[in-house]
Amino acid sequence: MQDNIAIEVKGLRKEFKVSSSGKGFLGKLQALFHRGHKIITAVNDIDFKIRRGEFVGYVGENGAGKSTTIKMLTGILVPTSGTAEVNGIVPYKDRKKNAAKIGVVFGQRTQLWWDLPVRESFDLLRVIFRVSRSDFDRQMAKLEKALGLRPLLEMPVRKLSLGQRMRCDIAASLIHNPPVLFLDEPTIGLDVLAKQSVRNFLSEINRTEGTTIILTTHDMNDIEQLCKRLIILEEGKIIFDGETEFLKQKFVHEKVIEVEFYEDDCVMQGIPGVTVVREQGCKKWLTFDSDGSGIGEVIGTIASQYKIKDISVKEPSVESIIRNIYDNRIKLSTS
Amino acid sequence: METIRIYLTLFATSIKARMEYKASFLFYIFAIMTFYIGQIGLLFVLLNRFHQIKGWTMGEMVFLYSLHAFAYGFTNLIFSQLINFDKMVVDGEFDRVLVRPLSPLGQVIFSKFEVSTAAHLIIGFTALYFGTHLAGIEWTLRKILLFPVIVGGGVLIAGGIRLAVTAVAFWTLRNRSLVHTVIFSSKEFINYPVNIYNMGMQFFLTFIFPIAFINFYPAHFFLDRSGEGLLHPALEMGTPIVGIIVFIVSVFTWKVGVNHYQSTGS
Repeated sequence: MQDNIAIEVKGLRKEFKVSSSGKGFLGKLQALFHRGHKIITAVNDIDFKIRRGEFVGYVGENGAGKSTTIKMLTGILVPTSGTAEVNGIVPYKDRKKNAAKIGVVFGQRTQLWWDLPVRESFDLLRVIFRVSRSDFDRQMAKLEKALGLRPLLEMPVRKLSLGQRMRCDIAASLIHNPPVLFLDEPTIGLDVLAKQSVRNFLSEINRTEGTTIILTTHDMNDIEQLCKRLIILEEGKIIFDGETEFLKQKFVHEKVIEVEFYEDDCVMQGIPGVTVVREQGCKKWLTFDSDGSGIGEVIGTIASQYKIKDISVKEPSVESIIRNIYDNRIKLSTS
Repeated sequence: METIRIYLTLFATSIKARMEYKASFLFYIFAIMTFYIGQIGLLFVLLNRFHQIKGWTMGEMVFLYSLHAFAYGFTNLIFSQLINFDKMVVDGEFDRVLVRPLSPLGQVIFSKFEVSTAAHLIIGFTALYFGTHLAGIEWTLRKILLFPVIVGGGVLIAGGIRLAVTAVAFWTLRNRSLVHTVIFSSKEFINYPVNIYNMGMQFFLTFIFPIAFINFYPAHFFLDRSGEGLLHPALEMGTPIVGIIVFIVSVFTWKVGVNHYQSTGS
């Protein structure tokens, strides 16, 4: 593995055996003696490489295999076949070594000790990760400031709100200043302000520390604001791996033009290549064919023929793009 | 050394976390003391009823019980967290254990402490005192030195069995009833000298499920009983070796189990 590669995954596969018991009491009773098994392939022979310092969004619908991949990369699950290396270490073979060099945040589950004040959890993690007192103090000072932890330190974890707890959990995962950070839905259940502060912080450590970050999320704003690269997973397979920007370019015709006309010029006649998707009084939302004219031409045509009160262009959201990929099964070639 | 220090810190934290709920903590100690006072009472009732079983006098049986109490006392201290381990597997709590740079088994073991040990040891000493007195045990230097070795071997056997049974949870998820049957119910077998059972049972408790080595076989040595009635006289000193074998097999089972861990859906 080259030095500049943080994560390398080859033909990674994970199958789960799920026992299927029959319906009703009799079925359950039967299942006690004879269990029917079904093999479910959660991750289906995937390959990817992540370079040091990248910020990668790992997305997909529920059950697409996101968490399963993260769990194999963190050493929690052993793959059925294929290989994975993180920092040159095989995570599920060398768990202790791997753990020392990664940070992990599971949005649904805290790493902290439920009944203890936050500060004591941090202290304990310092000991577990063998961080020297001076390195710890330096790192904590940084985290406290960036994540606004000071008022939380003396509170027991069980009394924290979800947003507060998430900030503490992120700090906890960074105590040993790991080169690679895995975040499994770190913004789930957070309010807008809390989300934004978490995002700002992640973007900052990615920039200043060069921390490689892999993030799974359902929130497309996370992706748009943070992840330059996007890996989209569907039913255990990677269906897109490339720049987030590339995806947006590709779907540029998804741009929506929002026009408001003056009252006396409210009726817009058909302009070739332009479709009205929605209207509300004198306000109209338009889309246009990308192969015909550019956005400038379209706006020019409208402006030359009608009196416009207001006009704006809406970028396609990554969410709508991904929805498109799922719905239309659009074949994407990576750049 | 560094690793030991880390585990001790983990251990201290578990105590602190428990103390957070002071009332519950005190109530727990109270419940345990009540339970064991009952146990001692029961022991004496039994002893007053049966003066001798299969050539074992009352005092000898009390000594048998003391070896048993010591072994289970220390086993409870060290491996108590294993009793509820299936919960960690079902809830996926075991995930976080695997992403820390410490042995998973070490972390599970040191994540809880068990006060009931103190009570076990009090019983152990009480029974040891009465056993010595009633059976007239002569404590030679050799016996004094070997006593902790035998107890240690017993802990490896009892703890190893507990660990192996616990590891079954990696495959079956819930295994509470198996844990309770194997760990708690089976103890009752060795409250009495094993030679009261038929040959098949003796064989089972010696070679398959070797809890007879916790107290029955080594008791012969301490009580200066002849080993004639045994399957083989050498079994008398087998406890430490059997302990080491059982424990190695268990740790191996555990390690295979960890690689079989399925976590939970996200």
